[in-house]
Amino acid sequence: MQNEIHLQSRSRLQDYEPIVGRSCLEDLRRLTEKFSGKVIQTVNSTFIGGGVAEILEHMVPLLNQLGVDIRWNVITGSDEFFEVTKKFHNALHGKREKISAQDFALFSEITERNLKEMSFYGDIIFIHDPQPVGLIAKKKEIGRKWLWRCHIDVSSPDKKVWSFLRRFIVEYDAAVFSVPNFAQQLPIRQFLITPSIDPLSDKNRELDSETIDAVLAKYGLVSDKPMITQISRFDRLKDPLGVIEAFEMVRKSIDCQLVLAGGTATDDPESEDVLVEVRKRAEKNPDVHVLLVQPESDIDINALQRAATIIIQKSLKEGFGLTISEALWKAKPVVASAVGGIPLQVKNKFTGLLCYTVEGAAYSLKQLLSNTEYANWLGQNGKEHVKQNFLITGHLKNYLLMFLALDQPSEVVYL
Amino acid sequence: MVDWLTNSWLWLTKNWLYIAVPLVIFLATYVVGLWVRRIAYRAFNRWAAAGKWRGSQLIIQTTRTPFIYWFLILGVLIAIQVSRLDSSSKILADRILASLFVFSLCWVAATLSTRILKLYVGEVKRLQPSEPLILNIVRIAIAVVGALILLDIWGAPTTPIILLLAAVILIAALAFRDVLANLFSGFQLAQGEQIRVGDFIKLESGDSGYVTDVTWRNTQIRTLDGNLILIPNSRLVQSTVINYGHPLKKASRPFRFYTRLYLKELTGLKASNLAEMVNLLKEVPDSVIYYHTHHFLEEYHYLTPEPANDFALWVSDELSDEILGEKLASIDTFAFPTIGALRARIEGVIRDYVSKKPDGRTAREGREFHFIKSVSFIMPTPYVAHDLREFVEVLRQVSIDSLSYHIFEAKLRLKRGVNDFAIWIEECLDDKDLADKLAYLDPYNYTLEGLRSTIIQVIEKRIK
Repeated sequence: MQNEIHLQSRSRLQDYEPIVGRSCLEDLRRLTEKFSGKVIQTVNSTFIGGGVAEILEHMVPLLNQLGVDIRWNVITGSDEFFEVTKKFHNALHGKREKISAQDFALFSEITERNLKEMSFYGDIIFIHDPQPVGLIAKKKEIGRKWLWRCHIDVSSPDKKVWSFLRRFIVEYDAAVFSVPNFAQQLPIRQFLITPSIDPLSDKNRELDSETIDAVLAKYGLVSDKPMITQISRFDRLKDPLGVIEAFEMVRKSIDCQLVLAGGTATDDPESEDVLVEVRKRAEKNPDVHVLLVQPESDIDINALQRAATIIIQKSLKEGFGLTISEALWKAKPVVASAVGGIPLQVKNKFTGLLCYTVEGAAYSLKQLLSNTEYANWLGQNGKEHVKQNFLITGHLKNYLLMFLALDQPSEVVYL
Repeated sequence: MVDWLTNSWLWLTKNWLYIAVPLVIFLATYVVGLWVRRIAYRAFNRWAAAGKWRGSQLIIQTTRTPFIYWFLILGVLIAIQVSRLDSSSKILADRILASLFVFSLCWVAATLSTRILKLYVGEVKRLQPSEPLILNIVRIAIAVVGALILLDIWGAPTTPIILLLAAVILIAALAFRDVLANLFSGFQLAQGEQIRVGDFIKLESGDSGYVTDVTWRNTQIRTLDGNLILIPNSRLVQSTVINYGHPLKKASRPFRFYTRLYLKELTGLKASNLAEMVNLLKEVPDSVIYYHTHHFLEEYHYLTPEPANDFALWVSDELSDEILGEKLASIDTFAFPTIGALRARIEGVIRDYVSKKPDGRTAREGREFHFIKSVSFIMPTPYVAHDLREFVEVLRQVSIDSLSYHIFEAKLRLKRGVNDFAIWIEECLDDKDLADKLAYLDPYNYTLEGLRSTIIQVIEKRIK
């Protein structure tokens, strides 16, 4: 079929057994027995790029390995259509966007075209994000179970855009959100499923010390003193200047260095300006290293996280914040703002330290730099927390349970 | 004819000594043989009667008759040597007699080894299926040795045959080295009686189960999840195996372990302050109360025991009300038989507090309390326990989800009043004392792994 992708798995399911344990995989296998003869059709807007594609790229082959017939399709659309959906995306995040009647009309037109061109063969049709949300119109004709997965924060959306999309969303059998705060009041069932990291991916797998040293050398870093690291794209919402300010407060009493590493977003014209600002601010301080990391540099990101003494994420606004899960998985002590999905990952004083201000961040950093044992304890707890809750195997389990829940309205289901 | 008889008589009268001497020697040897056998076997019988080895009787029975044949052969041999036969006839006679002796010796060896092996194999049940194989190997070995000696006696070149045989044996040993290793290990296991059918054993790999069969090649174990494992005997002998011995008292009904996975479902309800929280607490379903009083236990199960309910955490962290937080954290979930009663207590604590201190704080935007419900999916696992030993071993293996289901969910959410383990032990093993110990064990005081260890320790103490 056109717009259907067949993926080869990069990791074998059994490779996860040493990490998550046999019982976890046994549970998954038992669950998948319930999907015999069923087809799950998952639809989003792109095979390449973006967080959704990245998740599906890992999940679809693993579900196939488990014996679940899940197939991945994408909708087609013009550049203008994707410009409109980008505006929708920003508006749903609460950003002011000029959206005209023509934009809504274009969205409807492309949706109609996809409804005609696309084949709907799944017993469960699993739609991701707003771009293909209108495909629900097919439900009246073919029935089946329809799920809408919302990967973004729609807690404070632009009302016009939300009311336009809401009329589609309420037709679904259920919606899925990543964080309770990201959801809206809806008359349909809403599940809470957090995103996940793949412990065997380049971004998260174990690295030897030679690789880490080589990456540090590549960026001109020396691990001769404690390293505080923030990995984020250069965006004001990640508050890189606030991080430098907090670091300078710490540096007065503790000899350490700061690494701000990330890329610039092609869809965010501001990010280049932010990078310039950050570099200008940092040039006064030789202990602050601003690194522009190229896209697809997963090993570099992994190595920089592993080389860090503490990982900071002082965002002013955040999605789920998977960089936190990545840091915790590496058993690093984390200082992070209590925004978005971060509090789900950092339980204050158990798996890391939460902060609300620059001063709070500086205080937490000092606490951790001065108390190595405490920092290590938090790091180990954090790793265990990610293992229990934010690995791809748990994510698969939650999706399978959700598919099963579509036919089971009760709160206790006997399988 | 008359001439021939006359000539013969004349020859005999002249040479009667040539015949009489060998004949006398032969008869004398026979008589000596009878006498030696009598003396020897009398002594042998006394020795056999004093000893406890049953094989000695077999030796006596098998060798008694051939013993006299060997003296007869000896008598003929000496008689021929003193006779006037020519040397070539003597050599031929020597070879025939030596062949007869070797043949009878092989027959005795084969018969004796067959009888002794049957005696032992017959007593060891696990070796019975391999009896024909063992006997054939021994018989063939004796026959080969006998044939080689015979060939040597008759002057045939045996060195190439011996070399060929050695090569064949070497090749066979290499080809069947695993089989031989397993065979000898099987003998070792049988001899030491270290592992017997019916024993409960635990392997280095962590697998455990009852031994269902031991053959000359492998040992068969039925694991706790119902699978059969065949372990080559050689590997079994070389590895560390814990043998718990024979089964304990069987339960009237086996315990089937279940597991429970859960999915979080948003209710869309959220509270910003205590007034909103107490109002919503009244209307949310039981699954919400269960979720917020138990999910911390599971999601943070690796931590030391901590506040078991989200209400306490939210009040402390987001409303900064440490006093109410402490009051909520100290609610003893274990003391409540139903979720309804637990809900009433939480609601009562908050309501009472609000009535005394109505001007409570409001949570910041984005930090509200979201009411989430837990949708449980209960599945059987392949693990079944028929007695306490199996129960303990399964308990070591099951996931913490399974443990949570039988301890927390069964008691409170499925309204069984007590955890599943205590119910089974009392009803199916009739052990009220142990059941009470598990029923009164407060699981909220432990991490889940700590709880698992504690239950195992309590049961192991009972088994010992």
